[in-house]
Formats: sequence, C-alpha cells, structure tokens
Amino acid sequence: MSGESLRLKATEVQTTIGVIKGLEVAIGAVIEEEEEWEPMGPTPFPKVTDLRSWDMTLLKRYKPFYAPFCDLCCLCTYGKCDLTAGKRGACGLDIGTQQGRIVLLACLIGLAAHAGHARHLWHYLVEKFGRNVPVDLGGDIAVEAPHTRLICGFRPKTIGDFDVALKYVEEQLVQLLSATHTGQEGNYLDFESKALHVGMLDHLAMEIADIIQIVALNFPKGDPDAPLVEIGFGTVDRNKPVILCIGHNVAPAVEIVDYLREHNLYDKVEVCGVCCTAHDMTRYYSGAKIIGPLSRQLRYIRTGIPDVIIVDEQCIRADIVREAQRIHAPVVATNEKKCEGLPDRTHDPIDEIVDDLVNFRVPGVFIEDPRKAAELVVKTAIKIAPLRKQYKTLPSKEELIELAKKCTNCKSCRRACPNDYPVNEAVQAAKNGDLSKLAELAEVCVGCGRCESACPRGIPIFTLMTKAAEAEIEKERYKIRAGRGPIKDTEIRNVGAPIVLGEIPGVVAYIGCPNYPGSYREVAEMAEEFLRRRYIVVASGCEAMDIARYLTEEGKGLYEVYPGDFDAGCLVNVGSCVANAHISGAAIKIASIFARRNLRGNYEEIADYILNRVGAVGVAWGAMSQKAASIATGFNRLGIPAIVGPHGSKYRRAYLGRPDREEDWYVYDARTGEKVYAGPAPEHLIYPAESKEEAMVMTAKLCIRPNDTTKGRAIKLAHYIDLHKKFFGGLPEDLHLFVRTEADIPITMKDEVLEFLKEKGWKPMKIPDPTLLPRLIRRKAK
Amino acid sequence: MSAKPWQISNIPGPKTASILKSGEAVAKILKKAKRPILIVGARIVTEKVDGEPLVKYVVELAKLGIPVVATAHSRKILLEHGVKPVATMPLINITNMLKDPEWKGFDGNGGYTHAIFFGITYYLQSQMLSALKHFAPKLITISLDKEYQPNATWSFPNLSEKDWKEALEKMISSLKGG
Ligand code: SF4
Ligand code: SF4
Ligand code: SF4
Repeated sequence: MSGESLRLKATEVQTTIGVIKGLEVAIGAVIEEEEEWEPMGPTPFPKVTDLRSWDMTLLKRYKPFYAPFCDLCCLCTYGKCDLTAGKRGACGLDIGTQQGRIVLLACLIGLAAHAGHARHLWHYLVEKFGRNVPVDLGGDIAVEAPHTRLICGFRPKTIGDFDVALKYVEEQLVQLLSATHTGQEGNYLDFESKALHVGMLDHLAMEIADIIQIVALNFPKGDPDAPLVEIGFGTVDRNKPVILCIGHNVAPAVEIVDYLREHNLYDKVEVCGVCCTAHDMTRYYSGAKIIGPLSRQLRYIRTGIPDVIIVDEQCIRADIVREAQRIHAPVVATNEKKCEGLPDRTHDPIDEIVDDLVNFRVPGVFIEDPRKAAELVVKTAIKIAPLRKQYKTLPSKEELIELAKKCTNCKSCRRACPNDYPVNEAVQAAKNGDLSKLAELAEVCVGCGRCESACPRGIPIFTLMTKAAEAEIEKERYKIRAGRGPIKDTEIRNVGAPIVLGEIPGVVAYIGCPNYPGSYREVAEMAEEFLRRRYIVVASGCEAMDIARYLTEEGKGLYEVYPGDFDAGCLVNVGSCVANAHISGAAIKIASIFARRNLRGNYEEIADYILNRVGAVGVAWGAMSQKAASIATGFNRLGIPAIVGPHGSKYRRAYLGRPDREEDWYVYDARTGEKVYAGPAPEHLIYPAESKEEAMVMTAKLCIRPNDTTKGRAIKLAHYIDLHKKFFGGLPEDLHLFVRTEADIPITMKDEVLEFLKEKGWKPMKIPDPTLLPRLIRRKAK
Repeated sequence: MSAKPWQISNIPGPKTASILKSGEAVAKILKKAKRPILIVGARIVTEKVDGEPLVKYVVELAKLGIPVVATAHSRKILLEHGVKPVATMPLINITNMLKDPEWKGFDGNGGYTHAIFFGITYYLQSQMLSALKHFAPKLITISLDKEYQPNATWSFPNLSEKDWKEALEKMISSLKGG
C-alpha cells in the first residue's frame, strides 16, 4: 500500500470515530508512527456497521435461534407487554427482537465488566509504574497483542499506548448500549450484529487487561513451565491468620503480597483466593493458594476459616457481607464497582479502622486505595485470628442432626435447586444420622445456596452439606499450573501448519464459569479424553481450576501429567478470565505467523481465515455470567464455535447451522471463484449440549474445517467416528457430509465407511481453498 | 386444574401448558395426532420410574409406530433396546427444524403435528418448549416427564414416581387398546 493511500486510511479512521477529540489525535499519532510494519487493512477501530456485512454473512448461515426465558417485556412503563407467539409490545417490538436485545444487553454487561476491569487496572499500574512500562513479553513473542493489532491497527509499545484502545472500547460501549433503549434498534439481526461487535471488543478489553498486568507485574510470559501451585481447601493452614481474596482484579492481592514480603510476614499469614483473583495471585506469587472456583465461594466462607475477606470486583456474592457476618469475619471492599453499603474509610488512620474491625463495631469497610487496603487486612487478620477461634469451626454433627429434624420433606429445596438435586432426601437421611447423602450432594453442588434460601423451616442446608463433606474437603490438595498467559510465536510456528492442515485434530478450550449441570468432574473428564487423543487442550478461569481437582487413575492431577505447552496432547492454563484473549489470540496468530496474513485492521479476513481453517472450539460447560456470553460471542465473530452446557440454553440464543440445508454450506474456492460445497463445518457457532457425552462427540465434529487436508480430515474423522461409536453407537449419520474424497476416510475404518457411503449415494467432492468473502477470490470463475 | 412449574421460578408468562390429567388423556391426543414425533434425551439413559427404566416406554411408543429422535447420548441405549431412531442430533437441532414451516420431516412427507418430549433435562426442555411455543405456534407439544412444563401445550402436573408410572402405563395400554 502506498504512503498516500495509507494517509487516506488514517483520515477515514479519524472520521469513523471522530467523536472524542483526544482519541482522534492519539490514533492519528499511532498510525503515523507505525507506517512501516504492515499495510493498514480496511477496518481499523471499526464501528459496528464496518463489520456488519461479515456479521450478516455469519448470521445467514448460523441463524439466531431464540428460546425466550420470559414471555414478557417489562423494560419501560408501557409494559408489561405480552410478547407471546407473535404479539407485539406497545413499542412495536416482537419476542425474537426482544431476545436479540436481551442478548446484546448481556454481552454489554460482560464487556463493561472486562473494560471496567481493564481501565481500573490500567490506572492502578500507570500510577504505580508509569505509562512507559514496555509491552515486552520476551523474545519468543513478537506479535504481542494480536487483538489490538487486528482491531485497532497499531502495535502497543508501552502500557500507556493501550489508553487509545480502551477509549475506543469505551466509546463503542456507549453507542451500543444506547441501541437497546426503547425505540432504537428494532431488528433482531442487527441486535445480533451489535452483540457480535461487543464480543469482539470484549476480547480486546480482556487482552489489554491481561497484557498490562503481565508486563507490569512480571507474571509468566507465555511460559509452558509456569510453576505448579497449590489449589484446594486443604492447602491452607487454618491455624494461621487467613486472608481470603475474592474477585477478578488482582491489585489489592498484589499489595497484600508486597506488604507481607516487605514485613517478613510470608510465613505467618495465609493468603488464599477464590475465582480469578486467585489465578492472578499465583501468577504474581507462587506461594499464594487457590481455594477454588466460584462454586466454592460460599462453602469456604461457611467453614468459618477466613479471618478477613477482601473483595475486588466480579463474581463476588451479593450477600457477601451477610455471609461474612455469620462467621464474624470483616469484609474489606476495595473497588468502586462493589462498595457493598460499607462506610468509606479510605482516608481514616489504619489503626483506627483495624480497631473497629477487630472489635466487630462495623461489618466491614470500603477502602479505595489498594495499598492501604492491603495493610489493613494484614493487620486485621493478625489481630482478629485469635479472637475468631470459636467461629472457625462448623456446628457439630449432633447439632446438625437436630436441625435436620425440623425437615417436613416439603421439597421446596429440591424445587429451588438449579440442578434438581434431591436435597430433601439428603436432609431426610441426615435426620436419621446419615450424612452420606449430604456429602454426596456437596461433591456435585454448584454452591448457589438457593436450597437453603427456599427452606420454609429455616434449616441451614448449605452448612449441613459443608459439615457432611468436611473431612473430604479438608483433604483437598491439588496442583494447578499457574496461568502462563499468551501463546508464544515459536509455538505457533510449530503447530500452525498441523492445525490448519488438520493433522493436530483440534484446539479445545475449556473456559468459563462453574454452573455445571452435574459434577465439576465432567469438565476434567472431557479434557482428559481430548488430551489422550492429542488435541491441544487449553483452559482458563474457573474451569481451569476444576480440571485441577480431578485425579487420574494413577492419582495424579492432569496438570502434573500433561505438559503446559501449546502443542498436541498438552494442557495449557492461560490464566484468569481475561486471559481468554490469548486463546482467541492464538487463532489470530496462526493466521498471522503461520499463514502470513496481514493483521492490521483486517478483522473480516482473519475471521474468515479462522472459520474456514483453524479447528478450534470453546467448551463453556458451566457458562453462567454475562461475561461468558460476551466472551463466547467474541469467539463466534472470529469464527470459533462454542458449546455451552444445558444451563447455557438460558442465554436465550444459539447460532445454529442447518446441516440438512445443502445450500447453506457453499464456500468460494479462492483459486477460481467457484462455489463449492464444503459440508457443515463447523455445524454451529454456539449451542447448548445436554450431556457431556454429547458435548464430546460434538467437540470432535466442530473441529472439522473446510480447509483440512485429506490426511488431516482422516485424523479428525477418526476421532469423530470413534467418539460417536463410544458414546452414541455406530457410525455418525452425517458422516457422508464430511467425506470429500476416499482419502478422507480413516484407513482403519475404510470398509465400513465405504459401505455406509454407498448406502448414502455419496459422490466425491472438491476440496476448495475456502473463503466466504468474494473479495478474496484471486481469479474469477468463467 | 392448574399446576406450578416444577422449578418454582420457571414462570414464563400468560400462556401455560394445559394439564394432562391421566395416561388415557395422553392416549386420546396421540390417537388423533396425524404426524407425531417422539424426542428423547439424556434422562432415558439412566433414569427409572418406580423401578422401570424410562427407555421401556420409548420402546413401547416406537412399537406403536411413532418415530423417535435420539438427542444427547440417548442413541446407544435405544439401539440396545432395538429402537432405531429416525435421527440422532442435539435437542436444539430438532427443535430448530420443528419451528421451520418449510421443513418436510425426516421422511419428506411434511412437517409434524405433535412433538412429544420425554426424558429430557427439565430446564433445557423448558427452553426448547418455549422456542416452539413462540415460533411454532401451530405445533402441539407434549411433555411426558413427571415435572410440570409450563411452556408445553400439554404437560403432566408434578407427579410422584408412582403416579408417573401409572400414567405412562395407562397411556401405553390405552394406545394399544385401539
Ligand atoms: S420496551 Fe417495548 S415491549 Fe418492552 S415494555 Fe416497553 S413497550 Fe413493551
Ligand atoms: S425445604 Fe427444608 S423442610 Fe422442605 S424438604 Fe427441604 S430441608 Fe426439608
Ligand atoms: S446449593 Fe447446591 S444443592 Fe443447594 S440449590 Fe444450589 S446447587 Fe442445589
């Protein structure tokens, strides 16, 4: 591209988002500075309409499927409006469009959580270390920020440079949120296009949040040998003062670790965490301990072990102060997004606050300065621990049996349980002194506490469960590899070709929350199945933790058995939720490093590349939060499909392909422009599976891509067929749609597959150089 | 007669399922059904009703000529019991096809008039029934599970194991009785 046209592009950029003056100037500056590295693509800093045609291409094949969770709309005072089966609300909206709007809102909430988190961290780190901390991820990582390059079109040199990208996200967030107001957008496809845009921005925001903390706090930089750290209830010495950190923003936890280090208190105080703050603590200090995922939050509090609870942001229980009061542990809130009704004591003398907390004069305080909060919690923990001894134990078995005796077997608990667990039966058994059913329940329970809240007799069911499982959970000690962050360019060079050609059968990412339909073990069992099959298995967030809680037949954890490289048969923990950006980032890097496609402002082409060539799939088995909705939608816009567990149907929307509609599955052959049938690959962009067995068969299938070589396709089909036989029985009914030539058939299965193909009247098909974008056709067909 | 959703908070809106008072009531509806289809899910793999495996009732319905769609991982147990499903696919796939007015069914002879859901995770089934309530208003949906499904056209109320078994047995015997 000539200098002149580059300048032209830069002008377009400025007009596209010329809303914030400072942003316009800053982007102009970045682009001028970066003229040399790659020609600018068509969509730097895109607004939603710049990529709308890509969205519509996706949505034409993967049509939104809506499963309303509520038939009404009550968003304005015209309502409630009954939107059942074709009725319209007072504003003209119908039920499908309302679902599109709700999905967009969910994604926006998710994006706002990550962008707010990124912005907060950015201020904290810039204040602590200055704007000029270099974005240096080590010699093996040159493509440092694939989303920033792809979406914004610049290469960040320092953490200060990310300010521009964050301003862009923030500006887009306002525009997109405004589209959900009554009387704004009224078309479901456009709501979906906006949701896809939000998803894309979400990955950008996550990338920024994770990269700035990696480089500023010196987290592992894509290190496959990141240390194995401890996870589980049993890892904490309850005889020491225990500080429990909950949330996602590592700032206060970092300050706690620094304070302990500076004051030689490392051995005297236990610091542990729940959720992503715990992940990130161990990336900063490998001696920190992870209690577990979100599903363990309430349980750990109910044990009474934490002496002080410090919360930052996201995935913290809304009743945290109430729960903390039950165990006489003070709460320190530290983030403007979660003040919890606590008095702001940011500017009071520390010793005064410690005194108030230790003497239970207040249930907690809000301290907006992370350094001060750190000093406060350490001092408070040390002082309060000896006073709390009586609260550090659960009620006795006898007391619990007495409580259980109040049960009338009304089943309210069971009917409140999201998983329909037989809670009433377990309480009834406890009445007779048998706690084993409660202990079994504790093993699979997602820790929501709804059963207890529903009990008309006021039985503390959740405490009963915790007590019943006490002996087991105290033994819990597992290993997890600390979150390693990005995938190295060198690793991409090694695996890029085998992934794109299909010889590594796929990349499977277990991501998201722990709202499982059954036991947490299911995630680990799925991961193990694909590790044995030598897929690349990646994990993040709560699911990365639950994978650690499972032992193989030899009694080893999966992180101990499988290496941490981004390679076949390896298990990568990228880190906390925001580290999800490195998973999508790895797919982008394959296009850039292996296929040498330009990234810069070139979203559509890269997404088309990934959809057609990179056999990656996300499995969010316990997806719960709005963040999970935006993360998955961001994967989808980039061409990466996702499977959610059955609770995921409550997101209200799936993107479904129709394998029976042949016309939906044609791609262009980029060599000739000819339209070629490429099979339903991948079949869906996002869909809920009912069982783990179904999810596993679908995982293998969703890794199939039109670009697979015959050798690669044969490998992928061998796994698909094998899993199908194992869990479903017999050959897959749609097998003929994926066999293009006889060479695609796995050799060991040749006879039976050929016979099946004959029955289906199968004919060989062409293997295209696949694309959905007419502009990428190199020579037009005659 | 009214019923509360089994999962107490699963209250959808003004339009809720009519209650199937007995197994005979189901049989009456099914006898008149021109093109019924039975959709079964993960619960038929392991669940029992008062000692009887759920799959037994699928076998009986299949014998009566109702085509069966295997969703989740229910295919294997069906094959083991001699039932060849007309299709194996995720629950959402068949739901998606049922709401397509252009779809001609697995045999190409036209869309289905009645979709019977059996042995499917409660809340997932509820969501799929909701999709059909809104986007396939002509289709009659029937839940044969023991929990009240407010988004169906017809559902049993919340039943005890014993009553559920009785209802299923009666349904089969009435259907067989012609
Ligand atoms: S936003 Fe529209 S559909 Fe919703 S309550 Fe208001 S008028 Fe009714
Ligand atoms: S809600 Fe309470 S009283 Fe009712 S069955 Fe459950 S534990 Fe017993
Ligand atoms: S706490 Fe556990 S048992 Fe109770 S409702 Fe939640 S998931 Fe069910």
